[in-house]
Amino acid sequence: MKRSAVLAIGLLLLGLGFSQLSPFKARLQAAIQSGGPEFAQVMLGQDKAQALCTQYRDKLPPELIPAFLEEQKALIKYPQNGKLMGDWKNGEKVFTDPRRGNCYACHQGVADEVAHGTMGPSLLNYGARGQSEAVVRYTYEKIYNAWAFVPCSLMYRGGVHGLFTPEETADLVAFLLDPESPINRR
Amino acid sequence: MRKRLVPVLLGLAGLGALFAYTQGQKPLDPFEEAMRQRQMYLETFGVLPGELFVEEGKELFHRKGPSGKTLEACDFGKGPGVLEGVYAILPRYFPDSRKVEDLESRVYTCMQTVQGYKPGEIKREEVQAITTYIASFSSKAKIQVVPKHPEELAMYNLGRELWYTRAGSRDMSCAVCHDQYAGQRVRLSPVRSPKQGLGNEWPAYRFEADKLYTMEDRINFCYESIGIHPPAFYSEPHIALTVYMLAEATKAGKTFEELPFFTR
Repeated sequence: MKRSAVLAIGLLLLGLGFSQLSPFKARLQAAIQSGGPEFAQVMLGQDKAQALCTQYRDKLPPELIPAFLEEQKALIKYPQNGKLMGDWKNGEKVFTDPRRGNCYACHQGVADEVAHGTMGPSLLNYGARGQSEAVVRYTYEKIYNAWAFVPCSLMYRGGVHGLFTPEETADLVAFLLDPESPINRR
Repeated sequence: MRKRLVPVLLGLAGLGALFAYTQGQKPLDPFEEAMRQRQMYLETFGVLPGELFVEEGKELFHRKGPSGKTLEACDFGKGPGVLEGVYAILPRYFPDSRKVEDLESRVYTCMQTVQGYKPGEIKREEVQAITTYIASFSSKAKIQVVPKHPEELAMYNLGRELWYTRAGSRDMSCAVCHDQYAGQRVRLSPVRSPKQGLGNEWPAYRFEADKLYTMEDRINFCYESIGIHPPAFYSEPHIALTVYMLAEATKAGKTFEELPFFTR
């Protein structure tokens, strides 16, 4: 009787302990809040996936990866009309726009754009992969949610965050795969 | 008078850059291009834009505040009146404010506690200029940020956590670019890691932006670029990130560039 009471109190205290922020987490939150409400809102508004990538310094333990990928796959939405290849001309606009795709920050694209980043692979002549259903689908899903393929990659989840719509994602796919697109013209 | 030259000069530099940019087949080397622009300034006008900010900062440093004191009465880490090399040992803990401060927040603090200004009276441009003036006494100095005081160690740990925090609609963190992809480019801008000396060129005049950037300005520019509303000036995220970056640069034995630097 006495022992179980002690145990119950112990468990209660333990539960209380776990429900509190660790001193470091609390200090971090205070530091972030000192940066102002708008900064804090973004930094403290991490979703579950961002929090995991932060916690594991972008290297998830192998046992967490399958569930992570599955959750990210489930976030992918598709265009109403079911077409995964849209209009390459609009795709180029979204690709280039710093507020939307901003793809040139990391990727090489059209050959005469020299101010391109090098952190992502070059997309020059991406269309050489052909337009099989598998290539189109992979390209669409990768652009919409890169973390459905590589957890915590540098490539961000543009579709998930609404930086472009499913229809615009299809336009980006066309910009990469359409033979008429300047990405595929020599 | 000197300041009037800047827009004209920039026009010329801009045209030159545009020409080089449109003619170039290969991506420009951003460092080479900056050094070329710097040389052009020196040959044409005999002065670098950063030096104008140093001059302005010097005047403001010796201006008396409401208390009748100048910033000579402020301790920047090596005792009041000593400016030689202080930028290389900041951020550090200051017993009087009981805070870890970088140079910018230290200037901001002393303008209030020593000079008697109210926070609302302190202009950001003045702090930038004063920071640039003081930092110029640490040009090419070896970086010596070694967290020892418990508050300094706490700031280092907070800075490291912020460094790895992935957030916002771009899913970014500092680390994902500056560690994993150090040596690569964002557009034409080179990406370096703290161990490669990241942060060792600020305050710097950016000819691309026609502005002088301090370290805090540069951190804010980074946050803006990744879709995160930047933290308020002089706040803890700035101090923490600066401690982290410069402590790592210290471990790697890095030195500051010529300060104020001239960059893209």
